[in-house]
Amino acid sequence: MSVRTQANAVLRLCYFNGLTPLWRTPVLIVAVFLTPFCFLFFLYVVAPHPLLPFGIVGGVMFTTLFTGNGMLNDCGYLRLERQLQQVFVASPMRPLSYVLGMALSELAFALPSMALFFAVLEVVTGFGAVAFAALLGVVALTWLMATSLGFMISTFFRQLREIWPIGTVVFSVLSVLPPLFYPIASIPAPWRWVAFFSPSTYAGQLADRAVGLPLPPIPTVPALGSPWVQFGALVTLTVLFGAASLRLARWREP
Amino acid sequence: MEALVAADLSKTYSGARGRVEALDRVSLSIAPGQLFAFLGRNGAGKTTFIKICSTLLIPTSGHAELFGLDVVERAREVRERIAIVPQEGRPFFHLTPREHVEEYLRVRGASGESARSRADEVLAAMGLRGFANEPAYRLSGGLQQRTLVAMILATEAPFLFLDEPTLGMDPFARRQVWQVIRHATQRGSTVLLTTHYLDEAEQLAQELAVIEGGHILYRGTPEALKSRVHREVRLQFDSGFTVPELRPYGEVFEERGRLTLLTTRSVVPELTRRALERERPIHVGPVTLEEAFLALVGRGIEDEVDPEGGP
Ligand SMILES: Nc1ncnc2c1ncn2[C@@H]1O[C@H](COP(=O)(O)OP(=O)(O)O)[C@@H](O)[C@H]1O
Ligand SMILES: [Mg+2]
Repeated sequence: MSVRTQANAVLRLCYFNGLTPLWRTPVLIVAVFLTPFCFLFFLYVVAPHPLLPFGIVGGVMFTTLFTGNGMLNDCGYLRLERQLQQVFVASPMRPLSYVLGMALSELAFALPSMALFFAVLEVVTGFGAVAFAALLGVVALTWLMATSLGFMISTFFRQLREIWPIGTVVFSVLSVLPPLFYPIASIPAPWRWVAFFSPSTYAGQLADRAVGLPLPPIPTVPALGSPWVQFGALVTLTVLFGAASLRLARWREP
Repeated sequence: MEALVAADLSKTYSGARGRVEALDRVSLSIAPGQLFAFLGRNGAGKTTFIKICSTLLIPTSGHAELFGLDVVERAREVRERIAIVPQEGRPFFHLTPREHVEEYLRVRGASGESARSRADEVLAAMGLRGFANEPAYRLSGGLQQRTLVAMILATEAPFLFLDEPTLGMDPFARRQVWQVIRHATQRGSTVLLTTHYLDEAEQLAQELAVIEGGHILYRGTPEALKSRVHREVRLQFDSGFTVPELRPYGEVFEERGRLTLLTTRSVVPELTRRALERERPIHVGPVTLEEAFLALVGRGIEDEVDPEGGP
């Protein structure tokens, strides 16, 4: 099949797997939105209000990262519970097209929630077009990284029961602990570098920077504070997870 | 050129219970346009064979070619030519039968228009027209299975793998599905179907293979398999008789508490009289594929394979 037919296959998969459930089961939109919103609400009640923009950016990043959890669960579900991945593998659709179509489906789930956070962020910070574009770029990279990671992890399991807790553990650790909802400045200076063990910290820092939020230095490893290093790290991780998921994708069982 | 050639195909799984030899040097060829059935009990190795040939599983040794293309080395080209109903597959939760058929065809490269007309045709043939616009979660298990089969048969792929396609369907629905499968072969598709409904194989297959414990025990036509049982009638007893009592009359098989005797016409009056004297039922019928299978494998097709191994 030609590149055009493959691209078409990706969009079809996104349409029937990602978009149709949204309008048939609108509660899904609320479900995606609810957790980050609760964090934000909590922050609004307990934290000083100047920290609020960090929380809103955190909401955007949380929603983006959780596309990875959705990917992990949905790919596991289609492969193990429905045997439908097999139906697509044993077809002219390429493995890459399947992964992309699934990743786009997850993005479709996340879009309404993201749009809401973007709107709130605009009201609170009044950020401009450049900042918006930069933030979108970070969101796109993070989405690719998270969904690749989710897909990769899903291939290691043979039971859906095992996948559920793993997803919650991995993606909660990635999105709640690192400085996404709160400024990295809240971490004592000598320990800030530790946060960079989480891939999501690079994304979070770039997102904060895109919106123009103040960022402190990282004393122990100053290079980690450089936007170029952060950007390079995010791109590298995305490529790494992406390549690994295509390789490990277990289109075939061993 | 053959549609499918498997040569010395073996598969060993290593799992928690140790190593399982699911296929042991299986060789088989299927001619183009044939409707071929794979018969065997649960755990015999049917799904493993289908998964390898449909590029879903890597064999431990041996190789398989589909239309001359190696299924491991040239998987991409093989995938252009196949479609599969996986065993125990389920449709998408929220999509309707019509969407399943149309969207799958479009993912495989069909135009919107041809997908639509093809969907009309297949949904009608499969008796799904009345449910075409119901989301799958509102359909019964049998209708969900029909949806999945419709989606795959609609592709008219050159090679169709159907792993227990009629599982959970009522007899009427199964006949409808058979009709569509036959139609697919008339249009030139080659079909490999697994089943443990023997009547399905008898009705549909031009040729069949019986597989047991990863070995092929028989390959040929259903008629030839039946004629290997050199007996005319089958008598079945639910109770009231013992194996030693029946053995002098022919072959006796015990299957889930029921005794089956393959024998000659001449003894029917005698045994019928005895059953009636004991006020027990007796069932008389012609020899079917069921008995041929029983005679060949030594056990009924519904008997589960003992996971600990052993016959
Ligand atoms: N993934 C697996 N891991 C370990 N053993 C397996 C696996 N899949 C199948 N088996 C074993 O291989 C044998 C053949 O299974 P299968 O091909 O599914 O048989 P069938 O389709 O005829 O019921 C069985 O003993 C089964 O338990
Ligand atoms: Mg099977």
